[in-house]
Amino acid sequence: MTNHWIDLKNADVILMMGSNAAENHPASFRWILKAMEERDAKLIVVDPRVTKSASLASLYAPLRPGTDLAFLGGIISYAMEKNRIQKEYVLEYTNASYLVNPQYGFNDGLFSGYDPGKRNYGDRKSWTYQLDANKIPKRDKSLNDPQCVYQLLKKHYSRYTPEKVEAITGCPKETFLKVADIFTSTHKPDRVATIMYAMGITQHTVGTQNVRGFSILQLLMGNMGLAGGGINALRGESNVQGSTDHGLLFHILTGYMPAPTAKNHPNLAAYNKSQPQTSDPMSINWWSNRSKYLVSMLKAWFGDAATKKNDFGYDWIPKVSKPAPYMVLFEDMLKGIIKGTFLMGTNPIVGGPNSNRGGQALEKLDWLVAVDLWETESSIFWKRKGANPAQIKTEVFLLPAASSVEKEGSVSNSGRWAQWRYKAQNPPGTAKADLDIIDMIFREVRSLYKKEGGKLPEPILKAVWDYIHKGEHEADPHIVAKEINGYIWSDKDQMESFMDLKDDGSTACGNWIYCGSYPGKNMMARRGTGEGPGSIGMYPEWSWCWPLNRRIIYNRAAVNRKGEPWDPERAVVKWTGSKWKGDVVDGGPKLGPDKKNPFIMNNEGVGRLFAPGSALADGPFTEHYEPMESPTVNTMNSQKVNPAAQIMEGVAGQFSNPGQYPYIGTSYRVVEHWQAGAMTRNLPWLNECMPSMFCEISPSLAKAKGIKNGDRVKVFNGRGNVSAYALVTERVQPMNVNGRAVEMIGLIWHFGQGGAATGDAANLLTPTIGDANTMIPEYKAFLVDIRKEA
Amino acid sequence: MSGKAFLVDTTKCSGCHACQVSCKQWNNLPGEKTEFFGGPEMTNPAQLSAITFNHVIFFPVDRSNPEKPSWTIMHKKCYHCQNANCEVVCPQKAISKKDEWTVIDQSRCIGCGACVNECIYKVPHILEKDMMKYGIEQPLAKDKTYKCHACTSNKRDVPACATTCPTGALTYGDRVNIVKRAVDRLEKVKKNYPHASIYGLNEFGGLHVITILKEKPEKYGLPVDPKPVNAAKVQQIHDVYGLLAYFTLGIPSLKRAAYRISKNLVG
Repeated sequence: MTNHWIDLKNADVILMMGSNAAENHPASFRWILKAMEERDAKLIVVDPRVTKSASLASLYAPLRPGTDLAFLGGIISYAMEKNRIQKEYVLEYTNASYLVNPQYGFNDGLFSGYDPGKRNYGDRKSWTYQLDANKIPKRDKSLNDPQCVYQLLKKHYSRYTPEKVEAITGCPKETFLKVADIFTSTHKPDRVATIMYAMGITQHTVGTQNVRGFSILQLLMGNMGLAGGGINALRGESNVQGSTDHGLLFHILTGYMPAPTAKNHPNLAAYNKSQPQTSDPMSINWWSNRSKYLVSMLKAWFGDAATKKNDFGYDWIPKVSKPAPYMVLFEDMLKGIIKGTFLMGTNPIVGGPNSNRGGQALEKLDWLVAVDLWETESSIFWKRKGANPAQIKTEVFLLPAASSVEKEGSVSNSGRWAQWRYKAQNPPGTAKADLDIIDMIFREVRSLYKKEGGKLPEPILKAVWDYIHKGEHEADPHIVAKEINGYIWSDKDQMESFMDLKDDGSTACGNWIYCGSYPGKNMMARRGTGEGPGSIGMYPEWSWCWPLNRRIIYNRAAVNRKGEPWDPERAVVKWTGSKWKGDVVDGGPKLGPDKKNPFIMNNEGVGRLFAPGSALADGPFTEHYEPMESPTVNTMNSQKVNPAAQIMEGVAGQFSNPGQYPYIGTSYRVVEHWQAGAMTRNLPWLNECMPSMFCEISPSLAKAKGIKNGDRVKVFNGRGNVSAYALVTERVQPMNVNGRAVEMIGLIWHFGQGGAATGDAANLLTPTIGDANTMIPEYKAFLVDIRKEA
Repeated sequence: MSGKAFLVDTTKCSGCHACQVSCKQWNNLPGEKTEFFGGPEMTNPAQLSAITFNHVIFFPVDRSNPEKPSWTIMHKKCYHCQNANCEVVCPQKAISKKDEWTVIDQSRCIGCGACVNECIYKVPHILEKDMMKYGIEQPLAKDKTYKCHACTSNKRDVPACATTCPTGALTYGDRVNIVKRAVDRLEKVKKNYPHASIYGLNEFGGLHVITILKEKPEKYGLPVDPKPVNAAKVQQIHDVYGLLAYFTLGIPSLKRAAYRISKNLVG
């Protein structure tokens, strides 16, 4: 979240799209309902079905799964057409006036530079700005130049007419226009909209571009940086924010530093050279500090062994040789490339796409270590339907883990608040905290390396690994937290701020964005209840928020160039002419809004209506493409699916076609169960409320198939069969798509064959295809058929 | 009317089931073994029981206004009537008021079913099976009647269900203030739901659970203007029971039989 949960109360309009927060983030509704009650805020819910969130909305708009970009493109077009944009903000704080390379082009769904053979945009040189003699982007502040971003944007989105939106998405034109009208009412400086999204937006072949659509809209409305505004990703697990913050994805190191690649970053100098640069004196370009953060991270990891001479141990950290997201890992297991796997707090047999294939992949492993509270479907993959245990040689180890109340440490919520939690009781039996499990394994591996040697021993032997106090037996999470915070190497003094980090080896910091979380005192353990500046509910003394306890990021954009808040009633920060007041300001406290641009993480310093360079794999503007499995044709262009979405060779023949499988399948969660269900399907109180696997279908589909509410049905496609109860409900209705009614089958995905409450996994049906940028699987739109079970 | 009350605001309920679950947790109640049954919608279990004191009821969605679908989800538990029929009909004086709450003293209860039959809201239930098998530490006794006691047997400042509600759909406070808030809220709600109503202001002398509804109460199966039990007839049954009970030697099953006979005799 750019903002945070409590800040939802400050919104005038809340657009909830690709999120069913009432089901998945129920506490958010405390603040949404407060905004509705006290500010007369409008909640717009855009969703394929009437969800619990939709039942609380001011306006509900239906939408076919996988057509968000047509819908968002329509709103962008509406805003441009009606001139409902925050003009001053757009001019000053976005790249609307920047001139784009004349080589840039867009034709029939393809941007310039496409390589059809490789299915990618290998050449993105034309997705750039025109530069002046000082290498500063040229601008036309009148916004009339046909090559300026504003004009290109207007032209690109003019194709998204309300009629097109209706035909593609199935949302009636009148309803769509109401959404567009309410949302764009926030173009006024003192009206603010927030956007709440989750997996309904990201789990598509165009997932990243869906979020881009939000970015463009929020920039046009001038809603970024303001209280009650922003783009708010509602994270799926209580600490998934913490896990990505700490670099748990293949493409990033800690603090969102890009992971070095073998090809482009063979040494530290090459990595540092790739650091974003700017010649624009108005740009803060925060990433120009990246080398300090990387070297400090290396220093924290390798200590005295990290010296200037050996690039601070840069050679010892892994370099990416190819993108290695979830789906690629499983394909590599199938190919026998990956021979052993740790599953910690993950249950891919239930949670991963195409899970029959996932099961076959685990069968190829020599060994599997599952670390969890309970036996999960993945740790007993060899017992699953259709598997032959006699043929499976994988050695499986199950390590019992402590639950979140049985260990101490921090949990970072969606609003970036790192909150310290204490251990309430000891874990049962031999169960251990994840930290202890990792610590014990590492120390054992190190001792084996010492005794027997091995490949690339340096990172194992030279790592600073000292998390146990003398005389104790368990690792102390406080030591880890202090290392994450960072310290002066010479005297081990804890640091206050990442502004003091250096790239000469004199500072160590595990994760620069958490610098300041433990400067001697554990800031994350704070429980101060003062509301803080203004009355916008920042609560700056409750826990600690990255970066530097900044509650709303991009908050420089909350004021105009003179430093006056766009809305004085909801001021986030204010520039007095000599200093900042309010929230901890972005980009350093010294310079005012007249001297520096607000979007400090972009090298041009302004928000990107047009995403230049290599920021995205699939285009500087958004464009509608159909999901990989779609019941209809793409009427926006001749490309069927996102042309930059990678299709893996092993699954190319596996996709369903609408002739064989006529119904849209989609998957989602219910409030009673948690993700893949290991933690909740073993709890009687929750199983009582939600005991069985079910799917939701419309009364019309039920009638056509002779299915009654509560019947057992089979949902199937070429990848799998799912047995489920049918919930026949008016909440699901066929959608009118390009002139034809298309039915949808919604499946909850929490179930599997392990645990106390069992059922088939919805992911037996989902395809192995992902987003062009992140490769998150397309769980939200695929094709299936259904019949009543005999 | 004084005392505390709950306010159930169905216009704010997101159906998260937290009240149902937190009640079980605080009161150490076992989970019911259920199966999906089509509710409607996500209702489960089907109704209140001797081990389920809070229940979230999902009604079918009304999509007559496609842009503003109306889907009511209603928290239900004992309404804690000021003049409670269950209290009047109990032959054992096992049901009484504790502060303003209507509570059952299981040590006096014989499981005769008088309250079960008389409660038009179908709240109290007799525990028919031994619940020890669920491994719950504080066992519930067979053939006794149970229902919500507003957390009075396991005292806390605010009952568990109202503490846990994330959206503000279930709140708790002085009844005077709760009624005032309900009336104020109704005015606002009527903008979106012109037939919105309040239930519980006067029924049975006033309920201690006030419910704001999107439509008229009948639509949700809540009886309007319910009648108190016939006190004279109840007295006759109790008189006969008083005589017969003398011969039961305090054995619960005989007492239950005595009550059945008394009821049949009075007719």
